[in-house]
This record gives sequence, C-alpha cells and structure tokens, in this order.
Amino acid sequence: MNLPKIDLSALPDLHTLTGAFGSLFPTGSASGGTSDDTIVVLMVFVYERLIQP
Amino acid sequence: MSIHPDLLALRSNDAPQRHDQIAVTAAVQAWRKRAQFARLEREVERFAAGEPLDALPVLSQLFKPGCQAAGRLVDALIAPLVTALRGHPLGEVPLRHYVDDRSALLVLSQSGGAALTVQVIEPTGQAPQPGAKTVTFTPGMAHERILAGAGEADLVSLNAQLPDRADLAIEQCRLAAGDCLSRDSGRQSRLIRTVTKPLVILRLQRRGGSGELTREYDLADGRFLAQAAASPRETRLELVAALLGRMGRSDAAPLLAAMAEEEAAQSLRWQSLKECLGLDTATGFAALQRIAARDDDMLAAPAGALRAQLIETYPQLKGIAACPE
Repeated sequence: MNLPKIDLSALPDLHTLTGAFGSLFPTGSASGGTSDDTIVVLMVFVYERLIQP
Repeated sequence: MSIHPDLLALRSNDAPQRHDQIAVTAAVQAWRKRAQFARLEREVERFAAGEPLDALPVLSQLFKPGCQAAGRLVDALIAPLVTALRGHPLGEVPLRHYVDDRSALLVLSQSGGAALTVQVIEPTGQAPQPGAKTVTFTPGMAHERILAGAGEADLVSLNAQLPDRADLAIEQCRLAAGDCLSRDSGRQSRLIRTVTKPLVILRLQRRGGSGELTREYDLADGRFLAQAAASPRETRLELVAALLGRMGRSDAAPLLAAMAEEEAAQSLRWQSLKECLGLDTATGFAALQRIAARDDDMLAAPAGALRAQLIETYPQLKGIAACPE
C-alpha cells in the first residue's frame, strides 16, 4: 500500500507539556522554586555549534 | 582588562596551578581516608538502590538527633580544605560544587540518583526578602540536618493533587542547629524564609524513579503552574527519540513504537509515537491504533483524537489495521 509521509509539525502536543529534567529548581534551595530554561539554552547551543552542519 | 600577575604567569608556565591542585586534592583524599569514606560511599550506593536510611549504620548516624557524627564528618573536611585553599589559592576543590550569591553547595558523595551534600545559606540581612511565590515538589526522599545557624522556614505539604491545582498546607517552623527532618520530597517541601545566622545543612537525598514528575504550584492558591521530568533518563530518551527522527532512521521505528506502548512518562511515550509516525507511517499508525484502543491508558484519548485527525487528512490510513500487541 502506498502510504503518505506524515508531517511531524502537524502532529499535536499533549495538553500538558513536560519540561526537560532540570528545568524546574527545587524549592529547598536558597533561590526558591522557579523555572529555568538554562538547560534548553545549552542544548540549543550544543546543537547549533556542534551538531548542525 | 586587568589580570592578576599570578594568573598571567600561568599562560607560560602552569606548574604553580598544578602544584596547588595536587595540594588541594591531597587535603580531600586525606579526609576521605580519615572519615572511612569508602564505607560511607558504599552506603550512599545502597541508599540510591532504594534501601531505607535505618538499614545503613554510617549514614543513619549522620541524621540521628543528638549524635555528633555529622559535625565531625564535615569539620574534618572543611578545616583542612580551607587551610589548603589559603596556602594554594589556584587549586580547585575536587568535589562537585555550586555557588551563587546566597548559597554554596558541596557534593560529598554521589551515586545514581542519591547524593550527600552540605549547603551553606547566607543570612538574609535586615532588608525584607521577597517571599517565594511558588512551591516545587520533587519525587524522592530527603533527610536533612541543620549543622549550624538559625532561621525560619515554611513546611509546605501537598495534601491532595488535582488535575489543575493542589491542596496545600503551610506550617511555619524555626530552624536551629541540631534539627533533623526526614521528608518525602514529592509530598513535602521546605521553603527557607529568613536566615539570621548562616545556615549549614547536611542533606541526603534520593531522586524518585522513572516516569515521575517534578511539579510546581502557586503558593497562594495551589494553582498548577509547570511540570518537568524528575528523572534525567526520561529527558535523555526523549532527546534520543527526537534525534532518531531528525536522522531519518526509519529502521528505529519498531523501537520507537515499543517505547510509545510501554510503561513510561506520557511525554516520552507521546514524543516516541510522533517520531515513529514521522519515520514509518504504517508502524506508527498501527501503534497509534493499539494505544487508542486501550481502556486503562491515559494516552488513549489523545491517541484516538490524533487517529481521527490523521484519517481525515489521509483517508488511505483507514486500511491499516491494528496488529495485536
């Protein structure tokens, strides 16, 4: 059977998104609980500088 | 830019830095020998594997009220380490550490999802501090002992967890040297409000298992704000699934279908399913149909909606029957 190629960008996300490990600070720390996207920035940096041609 | 002459000299000769590093490392190694560190590390490994603190004689001594073992362990490290750093300022402490403007953290031992750390939190001063507006619950277990200092904290308990909010109970408590607290960090969180004397806290903590989530709520009304993977494994596998998709590895489609159908975090399963659909329409759509047909799966409803959406866009998918699992 000739099946179509599904476009990934057209597929929906779940209703509640889940952040990457480390993107929420624990509230036991002095800085208190807050979200932080440093890990995502680092991942994008590594991807753009080292992986993407 | 001004550079200290000692640091400038390192560009042509790094021997002073290496000598200082050897001296600081030697101070930590000597502490490890004196503190019977091998035994302590073995117990941290056992704690990481899920053993309760009561079954671990060396570690449990550190968190027993009235016992001086914790103070002795940390004093035996800090005093020689500070002396070594004063004499050898170019050396770096060979233990994982983290410093910000209010606190410093030193990891004494780490194994798997468990870590024994010592944290220092500076006094908050006279100026009123902005209070925490949110509270985060991280699945796992935490045992804490205040070694020195004083302050005040809020102990926030998660009484009930609803889809979009939580029922929170807040209890104020004073922090003083000698206090010990054991808590399920997925149900109870401690927010330090004020510090009047520098707080030194010894903490043994163990992360929760695979598939669990760290959740953040608004302190004022318990509103659900955000969630993140509580285990690095989940995030690692999500990245692996995304990478296989970007690499066009259609040979990985059966593996991604299996990941989508097995017991794991919903976000990881959904990501695997999407990547599988993008790589191999037949394999991905068959997995989607099997998940949509389940009675007891939280992903059944979104899978059913996606199935309907895809059939509307690509009517020829109707011909793919769900193979038995």
